[in-house]
Amino acid sequence: MVDGPETHSAKRDDESKEKGKFIVERDYIEPTRIVEPSSLTAEGVDISGRWGTIVLPRTINEFDTSIYERVKRLPGGSHIANCWQCGNCSAICPVAHEHPEFNPRYLIHIVKMGYTSEIERLKDSVYLCSGCGLCSSVCPRGVDPQHVMIALSLAFHAKGVL
Amino acid sequence: MSSEDSVLIVGGGPAGLRAAVDLAEMGFNVVLVERRAELGGAPIRWKYHTLAPDMRPTEEVMSPLIDACKSNQRIKVYTSSVASSFSGSPGEFSVEVKGADGSSSTHRVGAIIVATGFEHFDARVDPRYAYGRAPDVIGINELEGMLRSGKIVRHDGSTPRRIGFVFCVGSRDRSTNPWCCTVCCGVSIKQAIELRRLLPDSQIYMIYMDIRTWGLWEKLYWDSMEKYGINYIRGRVGEVYYTGEKLLVKGEDTLVRGPIEVLFDMLVLAVGMEPGEGTRQAARVFGLNLNEYGFLKPRQPNIHFDSGVGGVFLAGACVAPMSIEEALEEGSAAAMQAAKVLIRSSKQRVPI
Repeated sequence: MVDGPETHSAKRDDESKEKGKFIVERDYIEPTRIVEPSSLTAEGVDISGRWGTIVLPRTINEFDTSIYERVKRLPGGSHIANCWQCGNCSAICPVAHEHPEFNPRYLIHIVKMGYTSEIERLKDSVYLCSGCGLCSSVCPRGVDPQHVMIALSLAFHAKGVL
Repeated sequence: MSSEDSVLIVGGGPAGLRAAVDLAEMGFNVVLVERRAELGGAPIRWKYHTLAPDMRPTEEVMSPLIDACKSNQRIKVYTSSVASSFSGSPGEFSVEVKGADGSSSTHRVGAIIVATGFEHFDARVDPRYAYGRAPDVIGINELEGMLRSGKIVRHDGSTPRRIGFVFCVGSRDRSTNPWCCTVCCGVSIKQAIELRRLLPDSQIYMIYMDIRTWGLWEKLYWDSMEKYGINYIRGRVGEVYYTGEKLLVKGEDTLVRGPIEVLFDMLVLAVGMEPGEGTRQAARVFGLNLNEYGFLKPRQPNIHFDSGVGGVFLAGACVAPMSIEEALEEGSAAAMQAAKVLIRSSKQRVPI
């Protein structure tokens, strides 16, 4: 997987193996989308555990532009609108070559589009940026991804995502 | 009117008008035949507000040509008319022109230019976009009329906030038309910029497979992102229907590899270009070849004006999808070829 790799800590893996394990073809569903309430009562009926299990939809159904608007106002993010997703930044990024979770092209896209679940999933990866600046040297549209990464971390923090 | 001095032009759009004006200004007589009641072709018929790439008012480009055709003594205009039969050889053709009112006239001409243009793709043919059923799904051709009026409204009169453009509707698709219309990327982006100027609070999303703003039109694409904050989603729409008052648009953002189902207030379809009935009719009358897509087929693909029939020349979007700027040049190119035939066939001709 190039775009959205899944890396989980050992603890999260153990947890996620238990969740919804009765679901047929369970492997098709990312563990983060399975919600199994440890304690839940509906109309007096205990539906904890397997009875209350729901699978959150994978579909993106809203563009939440609040983080994007904040990034655009930050000095490092002022050119983020220019990005046309060519991937030159990720192509030259030494971190992306080693770490599948870090992809500056993709981070810029999910922020521009306001895909909050993807932002939530990948928010920590902005700190993997080494700040070497190779991306900014090759970007054909002057997006300056190196400083966009800093702006993203600031915007995530201000928004309370991080 | 002697045959050596005359050219018959079929089609009164940008290419045909340009050819007529050029030939008349060179001193030749022109018979201009237009199937519809009005000169100007698609830009006038669909009330194009402005032209890409510089948002120049359509009238600035088209009116001088239309006015010249109407006022120039050397140009005889037949509207609501078609060329119905043709005989003879280069330098001495005989063409019958029939009017919708039953009138008929025969013209002796030295050369013929076919410039029958195109039709916008009818999106009702492709049901996935709900065009024709959902009134807030419109074509880029219809949006031009709205932009001209300055009033961008949904069917209930409200102002749309989130507007989507769907690229390649009836283009690049085996179930409809497999070719690229070449201009709808640029035209859609031009319109998106105009919408943002009219509705600064709107959110505009362009749903595209590729952006083909060729040549200098690329600036539209850059400006749309850098100056107007227009967003681009790479993917193709699978289904559209109303959910309450809004349009639910189902597609995939292929850069995320995930399905999206987002509500829009209005959807604009970048409908492609296809050959129309006028082109098929002209091909039958003049014995012209059609290519696999139904466009007029030149003798070789790199030289559009050469129809393969001596003395008959082609120009404009009846040969291939093209912009107005290209169609105008093709009109001039065909006029030059027609002039060559006239000069060669006229021994006593004195240059003006």
